[in-house]
Amino acid sequence: MTTTQKSLRTAFLTALGLFCTVIMIFPLYWVIVSSLKNTAELFRTPPTLFPLQIDWTPYITNFVQNQDMLHYMANSLYIALGTTILTLVLAAPIAYALARLPIRGKNIFLLAFLIAQMFPSIMLALPLFVMFTRIGLVNSQPAVILAVTTRTLPFAALILRPFFLTLPRELEDAAFIDGCNLWSAFYRIILPLSRPGMLTVAALTFLMGWSDFLFPLTLISDDSKRPLTLGLYKFISEYGSRWNDLMAVSTVAAIPIILVFIFAQKYITSGLVAGAVKE
Amino acid sequence: MKTSAPVKTTSTSHSRASWKGEYRLLSTTTTTSPQIPKTSIGRTQNKQRWIGKRIGPYLFLLPATLFLAVFLLYPICTMLLFSFEQVNIGTLLTGDLPFVGLDNYHTVLTDQLFRSSVGISLLFTIGSLVFQFCIGFLLALLFNRRFPLVGTMRGSVMIAWMLPIVVSGTIFKWMFQSDSGIINYALQSLGLAHTSIHWLSDPKITLWGVIIANIWIGIPFNMSLLLAGLQSISASLYEAALVDGANAFNRFWSITLPLMRSTSLTVLMLGFIYTLNVFDLIYVMTGGGPVNATEVMPLYAYNIAFEQFDLGSGSAVAVLMFLLLLVVSTLYLFLIRREEVS
Repeated sequence: MTTTQKSLRTAFLTALGLFCTVIMIFPLYWVIVSSLKNTAELFRTPPTLFPLQIDWTPYITNFVQNQDMLHYMANSLYIALGTTILTLVLAAPIAYALARLPIRGKNIFLLAFLIAQMFPSIMLALPLFVMFTRIGLVNSQPAVILAVTTRTLPFAALILRPFFLTLPRELEDAAFIDGCNLWSAFYRIILPLSRPGMLTVAALTFLMGWSDFLFPLTLISDDSKRPLTLGLYKFISEYGSRWNDLMAVSTVAAIPIILVFIFAQKYITSGLVAGAVKE
Repeated sequence: MKTSAPVKTTSTSHSRASWKGEYRLLSTTTTTSPQIPKTSIGRTQNKQRWIGKRIGPYLFLLPATLFLAVFLLYPICTMLLFSFEQVNIGTLLTGDLPFVGLDNYHTVLTDQLFRSSVGISLLFTIGSLVFQFCIGFLLALLFNRRFPLVGTMRGSVMIAWMLPIVVSGTIFKWMFQSDSGIINYALQSLGLAHTSIHWLSDPKITLWGVIIANIWIGIPFNMSLLLAGLQSISASLYEAALVDGANAFNRFWSITLPLMRSTSLTVLMLGFIYTLNVFDLIYVMTGGGPVNATEVMPLYAYNIAFEQFDLGSGSAVAVLMFLLLLVVSTLYLFLIRREEVS
């Protein structure tokens, strides 16, 4: 193959790749653009690919004048952070033990984690609702944190395990010689070295907590305690045709994802694949 | 729910190596522990230490195991019981749940709405899976090549999968608007449609509208796992095929496809589980309508349990859904085992 043929092929592949990427991220672009249009331009035919006149009103009305959305966001943050912390605290020891420590029946645990992910969320929402009603925890954010953690914990353990498997074993041996016991070796040596893995899991569980819909829908009835996903849903049913307002709220709900994507995307993709493939 | 699971469920040499390593770890630590004089005190200390070494590792399992026992296993068991009991506001308040045998299952299975929800769920799941998988595979093949910016492109595509589903649902609801939606505009200006398509209000079409949104959400997941599978195929196989004069199609047909079979099976099984459980996308986009045209099984279960407050029948639906998933995963295990034997 000649060099011109080769560079032609590279150019073709790049163009094709760009085309596919643009189509895949177009919906996200379209939300942001729609949120910045005024009502007249929003419903214009043909639609404009970039706002002729940038209009920040939807953001001002929904996040400055009316503070409801800010409350929803605070609730989302509470649920997402709570889920992240609880998941990491619970998942790290078990993932480490399943990766490194002499334990019988490891495969049973791994299989259990796989099966745990199979249960439909609705299947859990139902009995958890009854259980939390009985112990008086229903209609509170901790109830949602506990519920979401049942979904994130098996997932987190499966993703973290390969990270612990890749650490050199000499590190632990050295820690034991220096007089560490299992727990202190884990906290002082292993955890600090597994930061990339912990970050991946933290980012993914944060997103799962931030995005969850079914658990807050079924477990929280008090509107002031509900997260942004439910706020957005309520907003759709109330202001069906105010699309620029809806798009502004959607954009804000997507911001954490975009931020995580920019700063931790490398970890997330590799983490997802590591958890899925390197068993 | 975003799901992750090993592409190879059975342990490979990798994990077996770590099993052996553990015993190495154990023996190193015992031999390097300081010598304790063999007095009676020393012996008890030694014994305590020995017990600590044997029990210690299991303590690492304790927090997560306890948590899952209380908040996952116990609820699932109570739900199994609920499906044989009369559970509604009245009986929940008294705390006395009467046993009704298979009544809940009978109510559900004779309900026309449930029967149609099974069909809708299967159509939604299979329709989504076929396209997600095929498009995901094509994208994986493309992004497995080397060209400028390919890493950035691979990463950017993932964003569709990471967005909250409620947000994705809202986006597609906006794009699917009959008059002002960008999708109808694009179809009409390309000459693919002559009149506005009522994506979310025509009962015959709405399911496809929801399926399209779900395909978009699922493509990155399929792509990233399939890409990982492609990257694990040794390049030397392709080089050998090139030497033998195989063309691109031959190489794909005789190397890529057979070697991707177990990865594909896994991706499809995970996709099936994930798609059958989709609730929020449909709840936000259509609410199950118009006239129940998009009422999939999770939505049906939700309506029965939380709108009509018949938690017993809702539990029965959840159990039936789980049985369906069990059948699919058993089929998967059967296929994957045959794959490994051959």
